[in-house]
Amino acid sequence: MPTIPDLFLSTLNKYKDKTAVVEGGRRVTYGTLDLMVRSLASFLISGGIGHGDKVAILLPNSLEFITSFFSVSSLGAVSVPLNTAYKGEEIRFYVSDSQIKLLITEERLKPIAEKVTAGLGVSVVVVRGVKRDWSFLENDTPAYITTLIKPDEDALYLYSTGSTGRPKRVARSHFNLTALADNHTQTVGLTDNDRILFTVPLAHTYGFGNFISAVKVGASIYVLQEFNRNKVADLIERESITLFPAVPFMLNVLAETFTHKPRDFSSLKLVISAGAPLSRQTFFKFYERFGVYPRQLYGSTETGVISINLSEDIENTFDSVGLPVKNVEVKIFREDGNEANINEVGEIAVKSPSMTKGYYGLEEQTKRVFKNGFYFTEDLGKMDEKGYIYILGRKKLFINVAGNKVDPTEVENFLLNHPKIKEVVVLGASDNYGNELVKAVVVPKEDMDSKEIYAYCKDQVADFKIPRMVEFRKEIPKSPTGKVLREYLK
Amino acid sequence: MNEEIKNTVKQVLIRKLLHDFAPEDINDDAPLIELGVGVDSVATLELIVALEEEFKISIDESEVNQELLATVNNISDYIWKLVTA
Repeated sequence: MPTIPDLFLSTLNKYKDKTAVVEGGRRVTYGTLDLMVRSLASFLISGGIGHGDKVAILLPNSLEFITSFFSVSSLGAVSVPLNTAYKGEEIRFYVSDSQIKLLITEERLKPIAEKVTAGLGVSVVVVRGVKRDWSFLENDTPAYITTLIKPDEDALYLYSTGSTGRPKRVARSHFNLTALADNHTQTVGLTDNDRILFTVPLAHTYGFGNFISAVKVGASIYVLQEFNRNKVADLIERESITLFPAVPFMLNVLAETFTHKPRDFSSLKLVISAGAPLSRQTFFKFYERFGVYPRQLYGSTETGVISINLSEDIENTFDSVGLPVKNVEVKIFREDGNEANINEVGEIAVKSPSMTKGYYGLEEQTKRVFKNGFYFTEDLGKMDEKGYIYILGRKKLFINVAGNKVDPTEVENFLLNHPKIKEVVVLGASDNYGNELVKAVVVPKEDMDSKEIYAYCKDQVADFKIPRMVEFRKEIPKSPTGKVLREYLK
Repeated sequence: MNEEIKNTVKQVLIRKLLHDFAPEDINDDAPLIELGVGVDSVATLELIVALEEEFKISIDESEVNQELLATVNNISDYIWKLVTA
């Protein structure tokens, strides 16, 4: 099953009448989803989209997102999902960098999509909302799309956050994605009886990996556009959700949320925690409240799913991200390039059939982290005698805001365009609860206050990148060689 | 409106977001956005959870917007309505 259309067709043949997607009051089977996919693909063809074209998907978690991805894939075109939290210049960067020909969006986001793509020669089509360019009618009989696609062709572009000031484009081929689905489903034991709730963004590698795995086995996919505690709890109870991929922030909030009556989460077989470290406090708090242990998963945009902790001794190993998933190899390397011993800390490196070949147009950065068939994650960790992986730090300079990775250089570059800012350093700081947040230390050219910073950021950058703490200083502390002394700024 | 609610709102704000502040530093009508309240959804949700726990109420986060979070008075008005409903 080497391509995405093959994967979809295989599921369709087995589970045509099974529920594929549930969104609010909408519930469609795999059979109906297939009709929708072919209908949208025909529409895209009429819009000039064909093999190899790049199509941006600026949609929230929704039936239309899923339809769009499979439609684009069926044409041999490349999907570029964009987080709907992104604003103006961020979207423009991705559209321009990926050489997008057409952008699929919803009515609500159409004005911003048209504004930021102006002059780039991009068509914007609305597939969701009242006023839309494409609609699926129940009596549609769309034609079958028969594009010949090779497994090593690009199917998906995602962007990896680093500390280089601009996101890096990561291509995943049809083979990479189907291998990811194979490895993940076999390891976790997903089946067509599973009902999986997606509130983590499908546009992100974590959500996407679980989503494509769900389709592979014919599971039912429940989508929420954003994390809303009560809607999540209602859905878990009402629909007997079996699998819930989350980030620790969500688990903590659910465990802390006041309710007048207890919630019944007994249907949950697996609660996955990824995107940020799972604290002991959140792990136990969630278990005590709902009777199910969250289990850490480790993955990256470059590789997809790397490992998951399915240990029976979870109380004593909750802080491990577990064993590598099937067909994935993990090694720990010392700084001298040799493999580390058991329990010795080093850099985590991954070899996986689902990993990308490198970063588009960034040869040097690709060479630096893709070596000898391994991807060097820049995460520091160790492996114990049973092969369990523990993440203990990172070499990369990014800020992890509730699972959202923020490149400080990118935020610094953005803030430096403010006419009143002379110099700025952006760094991660901790709140009283150990959560990481974005802090900006600003040297102003003239009098200014933090309100001006918030106003400048609003509608220009995703809200998780906006500095929650702003500190004004007369100068930035630096070493004699001019290096910023970040430790004095935290 | 109940002064006790306002004072408790300030204490929750200080505990969750405005760690370096004292209650008397926060004016009831001062724009909280200047202090960074409501600028990001993660912090906003943390604040909502803490207010719920403190007042034993349920808040629908989809109702929470920047206007509601604009001042201590606005937050307190909203909570007053919930606790007296």
